[in-house]
Amino acid sequence: MRKTLLSRGRRQLLAGMGAAVALALTAGASSAQETLRFGLAMPLSGGQALYGQDQVKAAEWAVAEINAKGGVNGKKLEMILLDTRADPQVGIQSANRLVSVEKVPVFITAWSAVVKAIAPIANDNKVVQLSVGANSADIAKLGDYTYTTFPLADVDIAAVANYSATKLGKKRAAVLYINNETGVVAAQIYRDVFTKAGGQVVAYEAYDPKASDWTGSLLKVRAANPDIIHIQGLVADTPQVIAQMRQLGLTQPVSSYSAVYNPKLIEQLGKAAEGVIATSLAPGVEDEKVKAYVERWRKEVGREPNGLPYTQYLYDAPYIIAAVFKSLEDKKLPLTGENFRQEMLAIKTFDLPLTGKLVINENHTVAKPVYLMEVKDGKWGQLAVVN
Amino acid sequence: MLSFDIVAQILWTSFATSSYFVLFALAFALVLKVNRVFNFAQAAMMIASFYAAYSVVALAEGPGWLGFLAALAASVGMALVIELAGFRMLRKRRAAQMFVFIFTLIVSELVAYLAMLIYGTWPSTIFPSLFWPVTLVGPIAISAWDIPAVAVMVACVAALFLFLRFAKVGQFMVAVADNPDLAELYGIAKERIYLATMIAAGVLVAIGMFLYGTRAQVQPTTSIDLMLFAIAATIIGGIGNLWGAAITAVVLGIVQNSSVLFIPSEWQGFLLYVFLFVAIVFLPNGIRLPRRRRMVRKTIIPGFETADAKEA
Repeated sequence: MRKTLLSRGRRQLLAGMGAAVALALTAGASSAQETLRFGLAMPLSGGQALYGQDQVKAAEWAVAEINAKGGVNGKKLEMILLDTRADPQVGIQSANRLVSVEKVPVFITAWSAVVKAIAPIANDNKVVQLSVGANSADIAKLGDYTYTTFPLADVDIAAVANYSATKLGKKRAAVLYINNETGVVAAQIYRDVFTKAGGQVVAYEAYDPKASDWTGSLLKVRAANPDIIHIQGLVADTPQVIAQMRQLGLTQPVSSYSAVYNPKLIEQLGKAAEGVIATSLAPGVEDEKVKAYVERWRKEVGREPNGLPYTQYLYDAPYIIAAVFKSLEDKKLPLTGENFRQEMLAIKTFDLPLTGKLVINENHTVAKPVYLMEVKDGKWGQLAVVN
Repeated sequence: MLSFDIVAQILWTSFATSSYFVLFALAFALVLKVNRVFNFAQAAMMIASFYAAYSVVALAEGPGWLGFLAALAASVGMALVIELAGFRMLRKRRAAQMFVFIFTLIVSELVAYLAMLIYGTWPSTIFPSLFWPVTLVGPIAISAWDIPAVAVMVACVAALFLFLRFAKVGQFMVAVADNPDLAELYGIAKERIYLATMIAAGVLVAIGMFLYGTRAQVQPTTSIDLMLFAIAATIIGGIGNLWGAAITAVVLGIVQNSSVLFIPSEWQGFLLYVFLFVAIVFLPNGIRLPRRRRMVRKTIIPGFETADAKEA
């Protein structure tokens, strides 16, 4: 008897627990439905954290603004943030967690090495990886589930090479580049485009990434007597190369790319910076929205963001995701990576708050205008917009 | 291509820019000679000295001389911490040399990471401008940075030479370097000498880093890259040979810079590793000039042969 009572009690207890679990699961499911989740894997620690953290802040601001305006059809966007340390191995761990544990249909990453390492995970699991900021030309060839919203290396380098040959009328270019993956590939692009546009590359010199003196290479460039010198270096070495170039009597105009587009170059070089041409892949503070965004940084953080154009792209990325999510919701399609990819390619053109119009091509590249900036009278000004 | 102008310019600029390399190599070689430590933690002293000067001059807008004093204090302070809290403790524990070397690697990475957290990774300079005015001497462009840098380097080398030759502490350093136990038997407090050596290295590093930071941009990891050059100069110049390391630093700079005239420029960085490989494999004692044969009359007494006599 006692055993029967106990058994009954146990059955009731089990039934009660089952009901509680079912209730909890239902509640969990309904609360999960209330948010539309996506991942963001960026360097939050390590050597690149300075840029990664600012880019994350920009994305957080965008998500907060989208949610403040009612979210996506009344549902809030939820961003799952993980660290990559800009390290491919850590990036793989983060991507695995986003795909297997968080089960997001789409996630954002950056840094070329990380994006490349994660691509097989995105492909195998049919989850979309949006690369926002990495610019290696290889990113367009990483499979069906990796797309970029950021123009790849060939876009701005090709624009500046073509503009130098056709609009500025330069016929003899010297190319001085850092001997790493970024420098080598971009220098080849410059040489090919400049030559195709009718110019001649009269000097093509690499330098060691650890170099602190460039006299030998610069003297070779001087001997070649070019009309224009294109420097494809990093933010750490390019100002020094330009300074030493001017000291050695090379007065030719200098072109470079987005890495040198910052006010510090003018501060460091003074008059030696005059005539330096750089590229920018996003509109500058001449644009009212960008001006307000930079003002917000100054007000809330007390400084301008590190790598302003990159933060602009990160700010815009949640808007792309929200637009695709909205379209899927309107069509009552499940939020899977496969559906996200198809819908993103179907929408194709996005009008974004800080970087303007974006066209995502089927071939995994994007079409964006390139802004050519020039130092004139001690400040950066827009020289041309190349579409 | 190979004109007098080009050769003269490369020789001059390489000589001027080798000024800081000479000081880094001397600091490294001095600690290796006296303390017998492969002090990779010198990178931490370099980071501390640069960011101290940067904080005073660039951030607090203080005068250059105050920035230099800050660099000196930071570098020597870091040297004291490394010696007292690191090397001395490890010596007491009779730690293996490999363990001490690993400790120096960890310290350099630790301080670089700390600098990254505090100052970020954006490249910085002590003074806002990187551009130094230039004077043309014949066909050679000499910048306003070059002459003071060379003068400071020559003064430091001379001062170190005189210090080791004539100052009591300097002579004790030489004695400890030769045979620390024998030096101790003669009443030299070798622990104090190890400390003094680290302080001397700290001074050399501070001067070198101040010169570097007024000409080039620095990131927290820059000093680790610069260390490779100092280590290469020390190994090629002959471990234990201070002046060999200093001369090698100058020669390496000139050879590396002028190499682009003869080989493709992308091979320039590779050259340093080739030198290192050759030095380690074929010249383990570094490049040494042949010594004059000593005119010593040898008298061999049976049962009292000297080592030389045995070899003969």
